[in-house]
Amino acid sequence: MKFFPVRIAKQVAAWSLTLAAGFNLAGVAATRTTTTPVVGLRDASPRVHALVGGRIVMAPGKVIERGTLVLRDGVVAAVGPDVAVPADARVWDVTGCTLYPGFIESHSSLLLPEALRPPGATARAEGAERPRPAAPAMPVVGARAANPRIMPEKDVLNQLTPDPKGVEKFRALGFTVANIAPERGIFRGSSALVSLGTWDVNSSVVRAAADQEVVFEIGSYESFTYPTSLMGAIALIRQTLLDAQWYAATQAAYANHAGQGVERPEVNESLAALGPVVAGRQLAMFQLDDELDAARVLRLADEFKLKVALRGVGTEYRVRQELARAKVPVVIPLDFPEAPEVESPDRAVDVQLHELEQWDLAPSNAARLAEAGVTFAFTTSRLRKPETEFWPRLRRAVRRGLTEDQALAALTTVPAAIFGISATQGTLDVGHAGNVVVARGDLFKADDAVIELVWVDGDPYEQEAWQRLDLSGAWQVTWTGVKGPAELAISGRGGRLRVKAGEKSGSASQPDRRSVLMQLPAEVFGSASLTTSGSTSLTAGGSTGLTTGGTARLAASGEGDDLSGTGELPDGTSFRWTAHRSAAAKAEEPAATRDEPIATGDRYPAGAFGRKGPPAQPEHVLITHGTVWTSGPAGVIEDGDVLIERGRIVQVGRKLVAPAGALVIDARGKHVTAGIIDCHSHIAISRGVNEGGSAVSLEVRIGDVIDPTDISLYRDLAGGTTVLNILHGSANPMGGQNQVIKIRWGEDAEGLKFAGAKPGVKFALGENVVRAHSLAPVRTRYPVSRMGVPEIMHDVFNRAREYERTWADYRAGRSVLPPRRDLRLEAALEILNRDRIIHIHSYRSDEVLTFIRLADQLHLPVATFQHILEGYKVAPEIAKLGAGGSTFADWWAYKFEVYDGIPYNGALMARAGIVVSYNSDSADLSRRLNTEAAKAVKYGGVSPVNALDFVTINPARQLQIDQRVGSLEPGKAADFVIWNGSPLSTMAHPEQTWIDGRKYFDRDDDLRMRAEAAAERSALLQKALAERRKAVARGPAAESAGDSSDGGGPKPPGAATDDHDEYRAIYHNGADAHTCMQEEGGLQ
Amino acid sequence: MNIRIALSLTGLLAALALHASTALPAKRPAGPVLLRGGEVHPVIGAVLPKADVLLMDGKIARIGPKLSAPAGAEVVDVTGQRIYPGFIIANTTLGLEEIGAVRASVDSSEYGPINPNVRAQAAFNPDSEMIPVARVNGVLTACATPVAANEGQPVPGLLAGTSSLMRLDGWTWEEMTLRPTVGLQLFWPAPVPAQRGPAPAPGALEETRKRYADQVKLIRQAFANARAYLRAKDAAGGHPAETDLRWEAMLPALRGEQPVFIHADDIKQIAAVLDWAREEPGLKLVLVGGRDAWRAADRLKAANIPVIIDGTTPLPARRDDGYDAVYANAGKLHAAGVKFCISESTNESGGPTNARNLPYEAAMAASYGLPADEALKAITIYPAEILGVAAELGSIEVGKRATLIVTDGDPLEIPTQVKQAYIDGARIDLRTRQTDLYDKYRQR
Repeated sequence: MKFFPVRIAKQVAAWSLTLAAGFNLAGVAATRTTTTPVVGLRDASPRVHALVGGRIVMAPGKVIERGTLVLRDGVVAAVGPDVAVPADARVWDVTGCTLYPGFIESHSSLLLPEALRPPGATARAEGAERPRPAAPAMPVVGARAANPRIMPEKDVLNQLTPDPKGVEKFRALGFTVANIAPERGIFRGSSALVSLGTWDVNSSVVRAAADQEVVFEIGSYESFTYPTSLMGAIALIRQTLLDAQWYAATQAAYANHAGQGVERPEVNESLAALGPVVAGRQLAMFQLDDELDAARVLRLADEFKLKVALRGVGTEYRVRQELARAKVPVVIPLDFPEAPEVESPDRAVDVQLHELEQWDLAPSNAARLAEAGVTFAFTTSRLRKPETEFWPRLRRAVRRGLTEDQALAALTTVPAAIFGISATQGTLDVGHAGNVVVARGDLFKADDAVIELVWVDGDPYEQEAWQRLDLSGAWQVTWTGVKGPAELAISGRGGRLRVKAGEKSGSASQPDRRSVLMQLPAEVFGSASLTTSGSTSLTAGGSTGLTTGGTARLAASGEGDDLSGTGELPDGTSFRWTAHRSAAAKAEEPAATRDEPIATGDRYPAGAFGRKGPPAQPEHVLITHGTVWTSGPAGVIEDGDVLIERGRIVQVGRKLVAPAGALVIDARGKHVTAGIIDCHSHIAISRGVNEGGSAVSLEVRIGDVIDPTDISLYRDLAGGTTVLNILHGSANPMGGQNQVIKIRWGEDAEGLKFAGAKPGVKFALGENVVRAHSLAPVRTRYPVSRMGVPEIMHDVFNRAREYERTWADYRAGRSVLPPRRDLRLEAALEILNRDRIIHIHSYRSDEVLTFIRLADQLHLPVATFQHILEGYKVAPEIAKLGAGGSTFADWWAYKFEVYDGIPYNGALMARAGIVVSYNSDSADLSRRLNTEAAKAVKYGGVSPVNALDFVTINPARQLQIDQRVGSLEPGKAADFVIWNGSPLSTMAHPEQTWIDGRKYFDRDDDLRMRAEAAAERSALLQKALAERRKAVARGPAAESAGDSSDGGGPKPPGAATDDHDEYRAIYHNGADAHTCMQEEGGLQ
Repeated sequence: MNIRIALSLTGLLAALALHASTALPAKRPAGPVLLRGGEVHPVIGAVLPKADVLLMDGKIARIGPKLSAPAGAEVVDVTGQRIYPGFIIANTTLGLEEIGAVRASVDSSEYGPINPNVRAQAAFNPDSEMIPVARVNGVLTACATPVAANEGQPVPGLLAGTSSLMRLDGWTWEEMTLRPTVGLQLFWPAPVPAQRGPAPAPGALEETRKRYADQVKLIRQAFANARAYLRAKDAAGGHPAETDLRWEAMLPALRGEQPVFIHADDIKQIAAVLDWAREEPGLKLVLVGGRDAWRAADRLKAANIPVIIDGTTPLPARRDDGYDAVYANAGKLHAAGVKFCISESTNESGGPTNARNLPYEAAMAASYGLPADEALKAITIYPAEILGVAAELGSIEVGKRATLIVTDGDPLEIPTQVKQAYIDGARIDLRTRQTDLYDKYRQR
């Protein structure tokens, strides 16, 4: 039923073919059947048109150099070089024009009612797609999803709202069909493809339920509505898709067992609406926030076998190989950033290299995607003023190497294929919808090309340029009442006319199709007293005339090659004139045919310090003569050697022999340690460390949102840190799933993950969890005291056991309806089954002991107490539980529950037999954990060797990765650091940091990268300056004059501008606090 | 901060304050002490491998080999140990803040943008647990500094108040005060949002620019009013008709008697400060914070403006900055000839909880380009100079205050222990709340 309109269209198409074949000479125009009652008189105008003499591009790469296109009753009836003009056709002479299939706008908010737009959307700048706070939750009414952001049942089809003016604007750009998409929520509902004619809505729908819109929309932390984080949004999408699968299955099962003692299952309109999506029948269109989201969507698509397309943001070229491999189509915008404001050196330092690169490379996005074999379509969305920005920007993309065919395909055949309407749209084949664009000039290359006619469903829509007098050329002028120049040369088209009289130039404009207004310097006119009639006998006066200054105004109207009109000199003298065109203008050469970026964009992550591929892994590496801190039983080996083979340590000792070809590192005077492991980090997380929307959020996964571009990762490498335990924040008693990574800088998110690391989860006790919602107007979230914390945990674990039984019953055939999968409880069950280990944020001894007793009772696998600043008070109990203590070296007193934090904590816990690590919980400390370790020596007298263990082997043991990393022992990964002094010395720093036998950091390489970045930056700054000079000179006036070369118009340096958001750093700038204590929403 | 919690904690804290650590203020006047046989690091001048230091009447009386002990002097054998001047933390909220997250324990900023008249001294809690903790690593003198309030008021703080130089020993703030007023603390507003995170809302940037301009206007007005007040007061023979506490407090700065400490990290702020400095000749300016100071080293040198570097471990300000941009800041200022000292950064842990790590902040600079002896000066004689007390503090020299430490090694290295500390010649108790808890729970 959903595809009913398409079927109709197909029938119509078949019928048209018959028409074209049999009745094209004698066809009778038929009025379109609609259910809308006729008001007044019926419109029975004939709908047969022949477009004659044009160049016809039937489809990308398929051109008829000169032919005729016949449209009959809304569809293409005939097309070809020798097609006869039907007798009943209205004939349109389109000689000199090019005909294209009507363009398809892949994403639009046209016709969208207020209810499906984000709140406040109408207040925003016309056409602008600005980032804005996500929609607040709407109350849930009806039998639908419990989460207000899950509204797949919404459908623009039943909400389409007429907007003739908006439609006209898009039609003027050549768009004949648009995909109208709802704009609220995570699952936002179904879009509809609508043709952009003037028929009623019913007749305009090309395809209903074109796609299901999906957006990672999150509330602010302060909204306290799940989800408040990207990982929460992804978890919610995952759970919802599972629910949709379950819903279909359980409804089917119930249908077979109703009345047989089975309780009626719930009805849920939202889950029902997702049926076609989980069945892979309906396209899921995911909106990206940055290019990192692409991989996240592809993982979901893979997991649920979804049919997906992506709507990008303009940086997709950075992940083009992945997109090509996945064969996923992408809808891309053309909102290229303006040149950044770089005039002030002190301000320009804030413009980062990756932003400059994006400015330079954005126009190349399409060409690079095309080159990589990615299928893409264009959209005008995200442009502020599509009507002036769209074509110039598309042409810019073409100048960057996109072919005309590729550009055309991105507007026609590709979107038609993406949205499943290729049978009727996208080409000018006979039988297809009568959607045609008629353009004069090279639409894809020339800035003066214009669209003269647009046909939608076989109806003509004349554009401003249609039959507009083309004034360009040389005109021989006859003046009456004034002595004027014999010849005027007019160049340009439309709104950009220049007129020249000899060396003097003036301006001209066309107020309507037939008229022209000109302004010329008065000095080109001679004495008004002379009446002349010959155009050749008199020449222009100049200083000898009456008029030595001012501007003369001329107005005329014309037909073909003749103009006649009047004029007035500055002194009020009026005159008449006629002109005849003696020569047509030479066709304007398209400006630059090719425009190359300076930036190569070949580093990942983009910008400074990115890599051009993984570092080499030498077959053998031999480190010689170093002071080797093994963090293993061998202790510290003076004058020691370490032999590495293909990324693994094979020997550690003295006087090792280098295999042939081995890379030998002379470490004389240096110290060598295992890579440092940070057991508590929050860096490299996209959009939200805490899922604050729920006290229990076990289903959210840090692994879904790893941000491999966070510069903090690189800074960590420079501090000798190689492994991170990236944790959910501490807002919730039962937080989210953590992700252990290796800092393989330059890899994507998947490439960073520490394969085989024991899965874990973050729990939290104390002030943060009971205060998480203290900013909410009403405290509604349980728990608000330390008493409630163990209760909610216990309750969740009880539910998890029941969940396990429910499934066991079903599998054993003891129940009929399939149970719902619950990812939250499944995670809890993994914990109970000791397949997922707990890292618990904790401070005070009372709460710690309470949790220990719960862990005893439920036999919970507690890997670490995190922070655990009062661990020293209950050290024997922690030791007995077998949990580790991952603490700060000396942080304390930042909040009340840590007033008893003491720097001796680590030493005291270690003395009690607890495996102790020192962690960072901060992007800063993570760079210098070696000197944090030294504090164990100072406070409590831990030996230097054991102190270093606090940041190497001990955290490895806590994370249960100690068989792989954490010490320099044979069989382990070659993760090591070469220091220029003792790692415990404040005066020492890393010179090299290696992971898996690959050198990821080298101080010399770093300096070289800085120099490279500086050079590229200088070149880009020069380019930006040049563009800024041009743009500022052109000024805001350019915009009003219809100069379409750039949309919003540049602002002079220092002027008020909001354009900064165009350079929004989607990359972490590394300056965020990244701590779980100084979290958004006032958590401390 | 939840008000209810804050209020309920107030009582608790009062109770805690009564249980301040067992460390007692030193007995004064202190008798003479002869430190015998230590390795003396005077900071100014060469290291004396083995020398005696005589402390008398709160001052360093003599330095030299084999000094004879005056009658009644306590002779302390420090053979094998080292003697350094006590460290000076030049910018801290020590004594003004206890627990960052507990509003009731934070008294470091006053309401409103213009508060030149409030003095740190007035709210300096002598029983703050932070003080003994700072001392154990050799931090014996602190410039307690009001800070600009940013939250909970319409206009952020600009002129936050006047700092006070405190010695970290005494029963009351009065006993602890070395200089009641060191200088005005001016917090230069941020021209653009410091963080470049998510895109600003439409108009937000323009709003920020306007807010910045308004704040700079407030600063200009304050100085203009204070100058007018000074003229009026001089014209009235020093007795103005009405006293304005704010402008009165600014007079020492306007007369060039005390510096104006301007807090600015970003290069755009620093450039703005340098511009403003030309409008206000006659002021003695000191830049505080200075995260981007290395970018303007030549300009700061030319303007003769010293810098109190607020820590060497804050994160680089921008993605493209080198990972060591802030570590290397001091080294670059030194190389450019800019006067500077190093203070403890308060960026992440918040408040003065880790003022004790001051020597390690200095060491980090030494690891990235600052000569090691300069790192030591950066927390001793240089802050003394910038704070105007170099005649009394900052080095081991005869006649200076006997405020010094005895260590078992290089105090810039973490494992080194401070074995003894003297403030104005009196040996101080190195116990802290933390050592008390340590001693207690070792028993368990």
